[in-house]
Amino acid sequence: MTATENPPIVTPVPARPAVARRHRRPGVAALPYLLLAPATLTLLVLLGWPVLSVLLTSFRRLDLRELVQGKVVWVGLDNYRAVLGDPTFWTVTLRTLAFTAACVIATVVGGLAVAVLMRHVGRAVRTVLQVSLVLAWAMPFLAATTVFQWMFDQNYGILDKTLVRLGLTSFAGHSWFTTGFSTLAVIVTLITWQGIPFVAFTLFAGMLGVPAEQYEAAAIDGASGWQTFRAVTWPAVRPLVTLVTFLSLLWDFKVFPQVWAMREGGPDGGSTTLAVLQYVKGIAGSHFGVAAAVAVLMILVLVGLTAQNLRLMLRAQEYR
Amino acid sequence: MKRWTKLVVGAAAVALATAGCGSGGGSSDAGGKTLTVWLMSGSAPTSLTDALNKEFSDAHPGVKVDYRVQQWDGIQQKLTTALTSNNPPDVIELGNTQTAQFAEQGTLLDLSDSVNDLNGGQWLPALKESGTWDGKQYAMPFYAANRTVIYRKDLFAKAGITAPPASNAEWLADIDKLKAANATDPDFQALYLPGQEWYTLLSFIWDAGGDVAKQSGKSWQATLEAPEAKAGVAFYQQLVNASGTRAPKDTDEAKPQQSDVFAQGHVAMMIGLPWELAGAVKANPQLSSQTGAFPIPSRTAGQAAPVFLGGSNVAIPAGSKNADLAKQYLKLLSGAKYQSQLARAGSVPGTSTDTSGLDATEVGAAMARAARHGKVTPITPKWGPIESGENPLKSMLTAVLTGQKSIDAATADANRAIGQALSG
Amino acid sequence: MSKKITISVVALLVAVVFAFPTYWMVATALKPSQLLLSSGYDLVPTAVTGRHFADAVAKPNFLTYVRNSLVVTLGAVLCALVAGLLAAVPLARLRFRGRRGFLLLLLVAQMAPFEALLIPMYLMMRDLDLLNRLPSLVLVYFATTLPFTAWTLRGFILGLPADLEEAAMVDGCGRWGAFRRVTLPLLGPGLVATSVFGFITAWNEFLYALVFMQDENRFTLPVWLSSFQSVFGTDWGGTMAASTLFTVPVLIFFLVVQRNLVSGMTAGAVKG
Repeated sequence: MTATENPPIVTPVPARPAVARRHRRPGVAALPYLLLAPATLTLLVLLGWPVLSVLLTSFRRLDLRELVQGKVVWVGLDNYRAVLGDPTFWTVTLRTLAFTAACVIATVVGGLAVAVLMRHVGRAVRTVLQVSLVLAWAMPFLAATTVFQWMFDQNYGILDKTLVRLGLTSFAGHSWFTTGFSTLAVIVTLITWQGIPFVAFTLFAGMLGVPAEQYEAAAIDGASGWQTFRAVTWPAVRPLVTLVTFLSLLWDFKVFPQVWAMREGGPDGGSTTLAVLQYVKGIAGSHFGVAAAVAVLMILVLVGLTAQNLRLMLRAQEYR
Repeated sequence: MKRWTKLVVGAAAVALATAGCGSGGGSSDAGGKTLTVWLMSGSAPTSLTDALNKEFSDAHPGVKVDYRVQQWDGIQQKLTTALTSNNPPDVIELGNTQTAQFAEQGTLLDLSDSVNDLNGGQWLPALKESGTWDGKQYAMPFYAANRTVIYRKDLFAKAGITAPPASNAEWLADIDKLKAANATDPDFQALYLPGQEWYTLLSFIWDAGGDVAKQSGKSWQATLEAPEAKAGVAFYQQLVNASGTRAPKDTDEAKPQQSDVFAQGHVAMMIGLPWELAGAVKANPQLSSQTGAFPIPSRTAGQAAPVFLGGSNVAIPAGSKNADLAKQYLKLLSGAKYQSQLARAGSVPGTSTDTSGLDATEVGAAMARAARHGKVTPITPKWGPIESGENPLKSMLTAVLTGQKSIDAATADANRAIGQALSG
Repeated sequence: MSKKITISVVALLVAVVFAFPTYWMVATALKPSQLLLSSGYDLVPTAVTGRHFADAVAKPNFLTYVRNSLVVTLGAVLCALVAGLLAAVPLARLRFRGRRGFLLLLLVAQMAPFEALLIPMYLMMRDLDLLNRLPSLVLVYFATTLPFTAWTLRGFILGLPADLEEAAMVDGCGRWGAFRRVTLPLLGPGLVATSVFGFITAWNEFLYALVFMQDENRFTLPVWLSSFQSVFGTDWGGTMAASTLFTVPVLIFFLVVQRNLVSGMTAGAVKG
């Protein structure tokens, strides 16, 4: 009854769920719903309702007064007009998209590379690598953003000092925050650094799920490292890669504390993303209706951005 | 306007209604009442608040004071949500630039009738103004602080400077002397002045006779394009260039903390608050005997430049169920006893003109002198978000100091941004 | 063999890059205050003090905050793992009506900006009378990590060859037996990855913890961490020492689950 009694699985075709097709018994029909019930209830009540309420709020004027007094003032599309009427909105949206793309690509590619690295090193080195990744992942945001600001500080930062020591004297007193672009580059570095551990661990865990026989078979076939990756590793982790790409996309698109803490959207609004815009236009002035409208627009952009992805992910669920 | 009054009336009605059912809802066991007081971390020393709370509960048997110190981080959200709760705090502290926003929204109790009761004759004018909205008083001044120039006496003596500068011209001349006397120290900075210290910029603009915005009727116009405002910006630039400060041009005094820089011992002057000096002394105890302070000099010899008066007000949320007790609490706080303790702790007291407690330290004395010329930012609910959002004054300074924009172009941009924010 | 060494060297370099900011945090925590900003080259601190750590631990209620954080975090992780696993199995292995709808719900539920949900969530907790109670935070962290947990676990199950499970079922194990003896062991690494994610997310959360809790003895560690900042400026030595202490439980959690699950389970996969 054990796995080893199966013939070695040589064909690196990703295994697909087939159980359901073969084992349909009466009485089992209710099973999936029972299993899903706790999660469904939780999501509908604890996330669904707040999200719906944000949607409704986006059509209301909800400043401090209305909030405190519990008043409901409908204003139709006013909040959306205020947000979309601002000429910077589209610049900020485009900037956020570019920023997100940079973060996601760097995080996923980097994470995949680190995961492969983890698979190929010995136990001791792997533990060292894993511990250092967890350290990066576990560092509180406040500490991480502060430490990054120190490392990149123009007078006292260890980075500039190190570059000067390496002979690049033009970096003496170099400021990394003079333009929106280079400020965002520092933020991308920070977010990638924080994001890679999660991706690496997830993909590494996915690789561990691949039975060793598949690798052995590939080795017997004389496959090179790259061929083994293509033939064995990649098919096994592909659903996970899609998943982490999707999740990184959601998180990086919305990320706020790190972007704000670095330079408060500056210089001159040059590192303002949509999340910052939501804060500046809505939350800072207690215009929660406007904040909600930005939030809804962000969700719409995200849905648009991931529509293809969503469709692919859902279609992959269809049983052939 | 009409709608507004209607809402205030509505707010008052709600407040009355909730006050009526106070004994049923929030107040706890055995018929005793609880007065919830939220003050900010670092506002008043624990010795003061302990004594105040004890005296209050002694004078009001059966009333328990639930005193909670709040952190600044996230305070806006914390206050906003707390005010919507069924049992909001009864006394809250609000930053003075934050007050108008809460007052305009009808979330605070009108204190106009209690001003006399609360030692109103001695209120610090600039703070009083910051708690006023539409002719009514919604908050009582708590304490204030303002910037002075904190300097190293030993370095001044070494450069042959005998008295603190009495004018901008002398200040610039002293900077040259300091630089000459310390030419051998490669890390030396005569004045540490980060590019975005916009409160200091306000001093220079006000000193030149300008302002950020002016009120006409109900509306505000940004006035940064006026020659006086430009003169203030130009002086800031002149100061940065003359002092050769290596402070970053794209941050304020918090990144890195200028007190930490001052503590290194290579800086002769910084423009800061008393506790920034305290921070520097804590890191480098030697500094305590070597430092002094003087008010920010003016372009007019012998005067001090106007300064931004930062600080806090205390207010009673409109939904408080113990408004009368809360007023009693404010009354106690506004009295001479606790006000003098505030002064001794190093703040300009909000409801007392007696600042003698500050004279114990040189920086306190300089602060009290300068506070007489204290001013505040435009009193409109629109200002708070400008400050806590992407402050156009900061971007303007960076653009000018890095040479990205001329003063004319930079002030024009900032003027537009602030004008939009104030009208929008 | 030399290839193996090259890979190890690269791996160690990557480890250094990832550990450096953490090292810098610890080094800063150990520096005396006047050396925080030094113009010298101080990759290794030139002087060391334990004062910042002593100050950080000496703050009142420290142990209470640790306990609150552990309760909230472990509670949320446990709930998310159980509910997530229950949901992941049918999503990956069974066919039923409404499956796509649920998947869509999982995906879209993660799109709303967390900051925007604060007010509705606060009002909801207020109406449920859960404010100032730790369960409110457990619920929020549970709900926010659940979509991720369910979706990821489902991904892991999909990655497992269904043939193994089928073989077990053919061999006479029931559906549950097959799941328990074959799928669950192989899911070990997945459970670790998702639980570490949940742990870190909940452990780090600040805003909701600040706003929902009123009594000081109900605060969690992130709120404690922010108390090193005040109008007087930030106590950086203290903040960094506190952050270091803050990171330790996460590391312990990781090492515990890593040892018990990853190594044991991979062995299980091979041995069966």
